[in-house]
Amino acid sequence: MIATIVQILLLLATVALAFYFLTNRRKARAKAGVKLGFVLFIVAAIWAVLRPDDLTVLANWIGVDRGTDLLLYVLVIAFMFTTMSTWIRFREQELRYARLARAVALQSPVLPDETMPRIDAAGAPKQDPAAS
Amino acid sequence: MNEPTQDFRDTWLVIPCYNEGTVIQDVIENARRTFPNIVAVNDGSPDDSAARIHAGGAHLVNHPVNLGQGAGIQTGVEYARQQPGARYFVTFDADGQHQVKDVVRMVERLRTEPLDIIVGTRFGRPRAADDQVPWIKRLVLKTVVMLSPTTRRLGLSDAHNGLRAFNRKVADEMNIRMNGMSHASEIVSLIDRKGWRVAEEPVDILYTEYSMSKGQSLINGVNILADGMLSRRL
Repeated sequence: MIATIVQILLLLATVALAFYFLTNRRKARAKAGVKLGFVLFIVAAIWAVLRPDDLTVLANWIGVDRGTDLLLYVLVIAFMFTTMSTWIRFREQELRYARLARAVALQSPVLPDETMPRIDAAGAPKQDPAAS
Repeated sequence: MNEPTQDFRDTWLVIPCYNEGTVIQDVIENARRTFPNIVAVNDGSPDDSAARIHAGGAHLVNHPVNLGQGAGIQTGVEYARQQPGARYFVTFDADGQHQVKDVVRMVERLRTEPLDIIVGTRFGRPRAADDQVPWIKRLVLKTVVMLSPTTRRLGLSDAHNGLRAFNRKVADEMNIRMNGMSHASEIVSLIDRKGWRVAEEPVDILYTEYSMSKGQSLINGVNILADGMLSRRL
């Protein structure tokens, strides 16, 4: 079998992604299940690139005409999943960020009988370097 | 300014404030005639809200960045519940649409009745001739209530009213995690989950041109519903 240019490009991209994932230190701390899942995903991707017809066979088993159609459906599902998990993750992040900002805010209240600290453009009181 | 009455030294008004520099000082000065203790949370306003709050004589807590109204209320409650002698807490809007006379009634009810939290309602009595709630807003608010089983079960008719009075127990347990405008639904679900004893009090909302221009847009109802679904899984 002679590899076409697009197959070579796809394989290179897949290998680069796998390399990045497995060498990235922050990501490497992800759960073992995620890592295994990713390795399976890479294997499946390489297989699909090398033997696209197998994908069509798989598609036919579950009532889809072409392998590319199956790929598209799976991609849409994966995209929705990613969107949801990103949204939830952002909300969690936002909550942590709010708690941090709240802790900062509660450390320096301005009581009615105190003099007002200088205000910068953003409306937050400037820290007086002499006071800290 | 009149000397604040002794009666409400145990009460703290919590006012979240974002870009209300034009009205906040008046609102605070007016409220301080009755309620000596006010904490206003300046939610990272780019305008002069912070200076106005200070000039009005309220305790000022500054969010270093803008977080949203729900976060502002939570910050204010956390500040107020640390204050010695604080027994009753009131969330109050910065734009002047709430009225001090309503707050007085609500706090008096908390003192005398076995209740943990009292929520203001715009729909508590037969519709008055001078009712100022615009019909579209009335429709949307009623729809939101209908769509929320919890709100119906608790018998609340106006869950998105920003005027609430509650006691120490509620203040200690208050934990608003929705930073934006969805905190009202979140408080309703807290009432339900924590089993706070709740009642409603009819209040008058002043729909000035100013508060109308700042008020929640109706589209925001969609956001509130989406956040409500999300908050169950956060």
